[in-house]
Amino acid sequence: MTKITIPFGPQHPALKEPENFMLVLEGEQISGATINLGYNHRGMEKAAEDRTYIQDLYLIERVCGICSHSHTTCYITNVEELAKAETPKRALAIRTLFGELERVHSHLLWLGVAGYEMGFETLFMYTWRDREQVLDCLEMLSGNRVHYSINTIGGVRRDITAELSAEVKKRINFLMERTNYYIKLATEEPTVLARTQNVGKLPHDVAIERGAVGPTARASGVMRDVRKDDPYLIYGELDFKVITHNSNDVFGRLVVRALELVESYKMIHQILDNLPEGPIAVKVPMKIAPGEAVNHYEAPRGEDIHYLKSNGTDKPDRLKVRAPTLANLQSVAYMLEGGWLADVPLVIAAIDPCMSCTDRAAVWNPKKGKTEVYSWEEMRKMGIEHYKRRGVDFTRL
Amino acid sequence: MKIIDKLITWSLLKSPWILHFNSGACNGCDIEVVDALTPKYDIERFGILLKATPRHADILVVSGPVTRQQAKRLRTIYDQMPEPKFVMAVGACGCSGGVFNGCYGVIPGVDKTLPVSVYIPGCPVRPEAIIDGVVKMIKSVEDASK
Amino acid sequence: MSDFTNEEKIKSELEQKFHGAITNAAVTRSRRVWLDAETAKLPEIMAWLKAQGYNHLATVTGFDEGENLGAYYHVTDTHVIVTVKVKTPRANPSLPSVLAAFPGALSYERELEDMFGIKVQGLPPGRRYPLPEDFPTDQYPLRKDWKFVPPANEVEAK
Repeated sequence: MTKITIPFGPQHPALKEPENFMLVLEGEQISGATINLGYNHRGMEKAAEDRTYIQDLYLIERVCGICSHSHTTCYITNVEELAKAETPKRALAIRTLFGELERVHSHLLWLGVAGYEMGFETLFMYTWRDREQVLDCLEMLSGNRVHYSINTIGGVRRDITAELSAEVKKRINFLMERTNYYIKLATEEPTVLARTQNVGKLPHDVAIERGAVGPTARASGVMRDVRKDDPYLIYGELDFKVITHNSNDVFGRLVVRALELVESYKMIHQILDNLPEGPIAVKVPMKIAPGEAVNHYEAPRGEDIHYLKSNGTDKPDRLKVRAPTLANLQSVAYMLEGGWLADVPLVIAAIDPCMSCTDRAAVWNPKKGKTEVYSWEEMRKMGIEHYKRRGVDFTRL
Repeated sequence: MKIIDKLITWSLLKSPWILHFNSGACNGCDIEVVDALTPKYDIERFGILLKATPRHADILVVSGPVTRQQAKRLRTIYDQMPEPKFVMAVGACGCSGGVFNGCYGVIPGVDKTLPVSVYIPGCPVRPEAIIDGVVKMIKSVEDASK
Repeated sequence: MSDFTNEEKIKSELEQKFHGAITNAAVTRSRRVWLDAETAKLPEIMAWLKAQGYNHLATVTGFDEGENLGAYYHVTDTHVIVTVKVKTPRANPSLPSVLAAFPGALSYERELEDMFGIKVQGLPPGRRYPLPEDFPTDQYPLRKDWKFVPPANEVEAK
């Protein structure tokens, strides 16, 4: 069999982030994969040391546009712990509400992207249209669709009125109905099953060995969710299930996220029905006493962990952020090996990567001594054609 | 204007094709750019198509503060685009580096790497602002060609 | 004393098992244990923690404390986070790799090399992370004495 090495640097028409995967092909199967990153490196941890705690709040928010609230909340939890601040219960509840709204928008976004990667463009359009309902909620509550900046040191910036609460609930109810349709689609539609079952296998013990987190790990039966295991904000008082699946494949990841949407809707209702009274913020001094704190947060993609060291000034001494996708990347190499080239875009998309990709795949055939370059879009189309020849055709749906 | 120039301008005005490039952004602008494709905003009704290769694109939409790693690739993509071509810098990061101005990993603002025709501010940019930016750009091309 | 039984349990078991190599062990609040460890013993301590159920290495945080560089290894069983701190002299910084117990730590260990210049013994060859390919290999951005100076030629493009 001819061995071909493909450097795969992604260009996603749907989500663009730079990463580079080196794939070694034997025929159409992948015999080896390594991951090269760094295209999105901006130098934030260093910049954070030169900015005040409140300025860093707005910097850290922009680690990622899709899970910005996760990052600010994890950061602010560290700051408030070091400042020994007593954040009011109402603020914690509002933070939790935003966390779950963020999870909903992120999972719906992912459902659309997964559909797009499979060739199921209608699903992409449906889910993103429905996602607008969540973005409306976020805009009503915070003023912005993305980067809501609801956190401030000591609490939250804006309160929720009874009318806003009712508006949010109306939209969530609409989404609950739509989600039932998506769950049915994910679990019963044969074309979806054909593309996702037994694709990107990650066994339970490998998931743990390689440090996988979030829905990627939970789809391999790993019962881990920071909201239940190390409760923060008001998760300790909410009634919800941790969703796991035991199929260890892309199908499992699809089901886990779809069912997590239902749990999030439940939690949003619970929070809005039981919003504690009281102030929304307390005053916190600008200078934070020396100390260290480490906290993690269940972002939509998995465990997000932040470390913070303070030194008595108004600027942090050291701030470390490890976003969930970095933890999942070592598992992707495993998932790609032994799989088909046609499945590569979907397997990578299934961990819900939050990085910047400009993809370029260069295929090197050592026998011919030629290098060809494939873009992500070409690989995605190749995958769709490959499956169409085997009877999996989304255009009939 | 020669006939071929008129034809090229007409096709650009009637149906500008865009290529989106993320030069190290947080993804906020990127999801809003993609959102512009979805049913609520639907830029396809204006003939605007999102393309995947620079060789088919009229407008290069760049988000992100341009990380050092991406700067070379950004220039390569731009060079691969055929004339006439335009660059749109979206978001506060694209315009000036945004919140990342001063970070070592970043060459702040797209206009330090490429000549920019349109700057669209926002953090992130709203889909309506993107549509507005494209329309304004087309109008200026139209006015220039008269 | 405190009613953090699981936290106290792992702390005292560590102190007993690695008697001498562990100092300053403390339960600072619920579900958080911090300790300093002898650098040479790091791989052994990590492997032992993994066997006790602390099998998720959440991340590795490098630091610069002036005379010493070093790293915090944040390992968890998803309930309690145990943070192991190891130091190495600035003049010749080096840490042993924990890849044998935690293969998922590859990116975290490469980051220590790229950002702090700490040589990780046992790290397999590979592309650097996270700095760009053309970033000089003798500059370590996260060290306290490294300052960013924007190049003079970064002006508007034509």
